[in-house]
Amino acid sequence: MRFQLLLLTSLVSFVACEKDKPTPTIDQRAYSVTTSGNVVTVRNLPGDTIIGVSAQGQPVGAGRYTFFSLESGQWIPNADSNSNRWDLAFAGTIVRVNNLTSGPGSGGGFVFNGSFESLTSVPVDSTFRLDNHPVSYAIPRGSGRAWYTYDGPTNLLTPIPGRTLVIRTANGQRAKVEILNYYRGGSTPSTSAADSIKIRDQRFFHFRYSKF
Amino acid sequence: MRLVVFILFLLLSSTSLLAQADSLRNLQEVVITATRQERRLGNVAVPVTLIQQQQIRQAGSLRLRDILQEQSGLVMTSAFGVGVQMQGLNPEHTLILVDGQPLVGRTSGVLDLNRIALAGIKRIEIVKGPSSSLYGSEAMAGVINLITEAPGKKEISGSIRYGTGNPDKGWALPFASSGFQQVDADLQVGYQVGKWKFRHSNNYLYNDGISFRPFSTDRIPRPINRLTHQTTLLRPIGERTEFKLLLRANQDKIEQEFAVRNNGQIIESYGREKNTEWNIQPTVTYRASQRLALHSRGFFTRYVGDQRLFFVQKPDSSYLDRFEQHLYRFEQQLDWTIGRSEWIFGAGYQIDQARSTRYDALDNRKQNRVAYAFAQWEWKLNEKWISVAGMRYDDNQLFAAALTPKWSLRYKPNEKWSVQASVGQGFKAPDFRQLYLNFTNNAAGGYSVYGTQDAIRIINELNRLGQIAELQPDFSKLADLTPEYSTGTNLGVTYQPKQTITVRFNGFRNDIRSLIDVRQVATRIDGAQIFSYLNVKRAYTYGLESEFNWQFHSKWTMQTGYQWLRTGDKDELDRIKKGLEYTRAPDGSSRVMTLHEYVGLPNRSEHQAQFKLRYQPAEHRFVFLRLLYRSRWTIANSNGNGVHDVQDEYANGFLQINLSGGIPLRKNIQLQAGIENLLNYQDVNYLPNFPGRNIYMTLNFKL
Repeated sequence: MRFQLLLLTSLVSFVACEKDKPTPTIDQRAYSVTTSGNVVTVRNLPGDTIIGVSAQGQPVGAGRYTFFSLESGQWIPNADSNSNRWDLAFAGTIVRVNNLTSGPGSGGGFVFNGSFESLTSVPVDSTFRLDNHPVSYAIPRGSGRAWYTYDGPTNLLTPIPGRTLVIRTANGQRAKVEILNYYRGGSTPSTSAADSIKIRDQRFFHFRYSKF
Repeated sequence: MRLVVFILFLLLSSTSLLAQADSLRNLQEVVITATRQERRLGNVAVPVTLIQQQQIRQAGSLRLRDILQEQSGLVMTSAFGVGVQMQGLNPEHTLILVDGQPLVGRTSGVLDLNRIALAGIKRIEIVKGPSSSLYGSEAMAGVINLITEAPGKKEISGSIRYGTGNPDKGWALPFASSGFQQVDADLQVGYQVGKWKFRHSNNYLYNDGISFRPFSTDRIPRPINRLTHQTTLLRPIGERTEFKLLLRANQDKIEQEFAVRNNGQIIESYGREKNTEWNIQPTVTYRASQRLALHSRGFFTRYVGDQRLFFVQKPDSSYLDRFEQHLYRFEQQLDWTIGRSEWIFGAGYQIDQARSTRYDALDNRKQNRVAYAFAQWEWKLNEKWISVAGMRYDDNQLFAAALTPKWSLRYKPNEKWSVQASVGQGFKAPDFRQLYLNFTNNAAGGYSVYGTQDAIRIINELNRLGQIAELQPDFSKLADLTPEYSTGTNLGVTYQPKQTITVRFNGFRNDIRSLIDVRQVATRIDGAQIFSYLNVKRAYTYGLESEFNWQFHSKWTMQTGYQWLRTGDKDELDRIKKGLEYTRAPDGSSRVMTLHEYVGLPNRSEHQAQFKLRYQPAEHRFVFLRLLYRSRWTIANSNGNGVHDVQDEYANGFLQINLSGGIPLRKNIQLQAGIENLLNYQDVNYLPNFPGRNIYMTLNFKL
């Protein structure tokens, strides 16, 4: 239904995007980590935020991952990417675990269909998947496949409620992670928001996690 | 406002003679759409709404949208022009006819109601509930049939109207630069030459459009010129035969320059759109006796929609969209009365063709042939019971055949009460878009949509070239499309304690299956999504419609209508019941969704109500007030769970007030004035075709 409606506006934005190259800045001011009981909530963690538009009209980031440690609850500098210090790495819709093609650790992960609270222990019959960058990831990419849906016509990405990521950390600990939102400030722009806002504010991760 | 007061004053101070105002609902009126034969409204077994020309004129309605939006149970939708939602079903599921033959040229299933002029239309009949047993594809929610004025009556009449509106400033000043202006001119000529009876209807509408959206000077409604011509011709041949011809031509032209602001850039564009449509409808009726009549009908129609968009800074990326559709049909119908039974037998053959830039190539004409037959048996057991049973079979060249039965019953125990019950099957054939669309949008995100006739081949080819990252599970379900089906049940009660009061209730339920949905079937290596169509959805709508008409004084009539509507997707409902759908708590965390949070299909309002009040002391002297309310409706899924629930994005409910009035200036001249959308309600995002208040004045004449 909406495809043709969007055709015109998208064509227009295609033309508009090409010359539009804002300078790369990473907004770190809003980033925060809070702890309540054993649940840690991370807000506004940028994951390769948009710095411009490719020749094909796709919004692109700088290609830099943001590394995060579930064990220490800290944003890990990129210099430590080749270490066991991080457990999750974020860049756009890619979420990587520290193992194989992604890092030297013994990380892993899979997606559990069910709420964060209902998951009290790692199900016995579960298998931790590994990253095989760039072909596949422990936490799969793609709309509706793992933790998010993406709607092309409205150009909005929304985490799916009731999807919990089960993560094995670089050092082999188990944790559960729920991604709450993908936009700056923690609220998804409305469908009628300008494309420029939808692009500017995306790739800001909000998630909560706790160790088993 | 002063104008209104002035008109009211004139009306109230008038000393004109009393005239019997038409009731807004008269059960003695004759309708044809419900059974393909003329029947009194009080004798039909299905819900029918009849809109007479007087109501159309007094409401100041120019286009089909204007009058339909004021009818109980009909909701106007805003995507791809203005469409009509009936009993909660999408616009593509309502068949729109002129003298019993369909209008073509739908975009994404929507026939733009603003394309259809009401000039030369005598009455509009709206039949709710599936009517595919008589009319075939698209008649799933119901049928809207526009009946043209009969030729021959000696008449020259016409009108000229000027209207203006200004959404920013509220009360419009004529010729205000930021507002819109509208001119409508209409000329009707009827005459007779020997045995030939003629009627010509000409209508011209100009609207210079208005831009009220942020980031854009694009004028919506757009600057448009609409021209409609309609000729009807009737000639008796001998005693028993009659030849009738309807010619209709319509052209819309939209041209505008506009600028859109996007990411700080200003893009200047020039858009040109031309929609042309004509149809020819010859009919020969042979009445062998009182009991036997034969109708031979031909029908040829052509629609061309041509849209061009030029970018001033980037002329090479200009955009052309062209869609052409032809329909050729020949149909025979036999009406036969035997005792208490009235039989109708019909058969027809139809060729439907389309070509478009939206398909693989403009030169590749797509074609579907349909052979069909239908029968209906109306049995008048006695004065109390009438039973109507019908069935139709459509054999399609491109997809599965459809069989659609229907049975309806009317029970009238006495003069005051009447009960109507009906159950029927409706269907909608897959349209050319769902079979042949070949569309790729390269902009932000990027996606493609392929019709099912080509999707598998194209995706396999892309896969062979290494362009496909992943095939989705739905890819394996891609198959030839089948028609969409619905089963509709209506149960109504009419109570008419006296001639001036009518109360009507109608409960309805529609169960829709093999509904065609757009699904992602593959992903390209650059992440772009590929969509196609699948017969996968099951949905339902049910509700209650009520109407109360009361002529409480010889000059005063009131009418109220209300529709309560619930809808839903059956698979979504199953998932919610099993506790598999989640929603988010205020802190953003997930929890299981409960059934009462589910709101059903998007773009549906639970409540719709209207109130109409008319004061008519004389034939051309009246005041007509209409209050139209629609409750909020969901727009988009904002919490990612794939179902529409109370957390999602809604458009606000709103009240629209339309007011009109008329006074006779001289014997043959009437002045009419009115205000549409008196409260100046606007919703830039969700009601793009609904500009602010419109004030108009019309001069009607009749020689």
